[in-house]
Amino acid sequence: MNPVRATVEIGPQAGMASGALILFWVFAVIAVAGALATVTRRNAVTAVVCLVGTFFAIAAEFLLLYAQFLAVIQVLVYAGAIMVLFVFVVMVVSRGEADTLWKLQGPVTKTVAVLAMGTLLWRGWHALRSFQPARLDPPPTGFGTVGGVGQVLLGDFLFPFEAISILLLVAVVGALVIARHHHDKDKAAQP
Amino acid sequence: MIPVSNFLYLAAILFAIGLSAVLLRRNALIVLMGVELMLNAANLTLLAFARAHHDLRGHAIAFLVIATAAAEAAVGLAIVVGIFRTRHTANIDEVTLMKH
Repeated sequence: MNPVRATVEIGPQAGMASGALILFWVFAVIAVAGALATVTRRNAVTAVVCLVGTFFAIAAEFLLLYAQFLAVIQVLVYAGAIMVLFVFVVMVVSRGEADTLWKLQGPVTKTVAVLAMGTLLWRGWHALRSFQPARLDPPPTGFGTVGGVGQVLLGDFLFPFEAISILLLVAVVGALVIARHHHDKDKAAQP
Repeated sequence: MIPVSNFLYLAAILFAIGLSAVLLRRNALIVLMGVELMLNAANLTLLAFARAHHDLRGHAIAFLVIATAAAEAAVGLAIVVGIFRTRHTANIDEVTLMKH
């Protein structure tokens, strides 16, 4: 690659990079705001809707990480299936009762909590600060596509992939058994 | 390009928010939402490192995490519904017995 061509290429690439950075910040703000709203809302339905917004923003962040397949899966599974499940259960369970926050009592507990929080923040900060910035060149073609991820899933991860299907089956059957009405057993025993 | 550490900071913040939901809220549904948020933050970290190292195994693990999260949500919500049927509450402080 000759230097002239390199200088020509820097222009649009730099512009694209700053555009991606703007997108990152936009979706990061949406994600954090949605997450904060989820935690602070008293109404569970509002919390679910805010969480859906957060999941969409996280899916956009996945796209910025060249994870197209997982971005689609994120929208389908999280923003679609799981949150619909949450909405249904909120409709069944929600009674609008006062939800008080958990509070710390006593100076000893508070001191321990502050120390633990400080340690956590300090360690996390240093772990993130010491992170060596890896290469930022675009990944090879096929990175993050259905084909690429499928090759890895059905190669190195074949056993976990099959095990997860059994886990899903067991979970769905278990959920049905747990959430089912248990009156039929009493009715059958009565006559 | 976007520095990978940006994604790590974002994931750390989201994880902290989810953890605060788990620790502070008493509504079982909000607690489960906090768990989902933490799983998503972990996925974001996995994908950030996968992108940094050009390694698709991170994507495969994130896929398995999403599938496990779906199973966890199904069972967790079923337990919430089951508890609500018998106790008429979704407050996790009031659920202290394993019997009816």
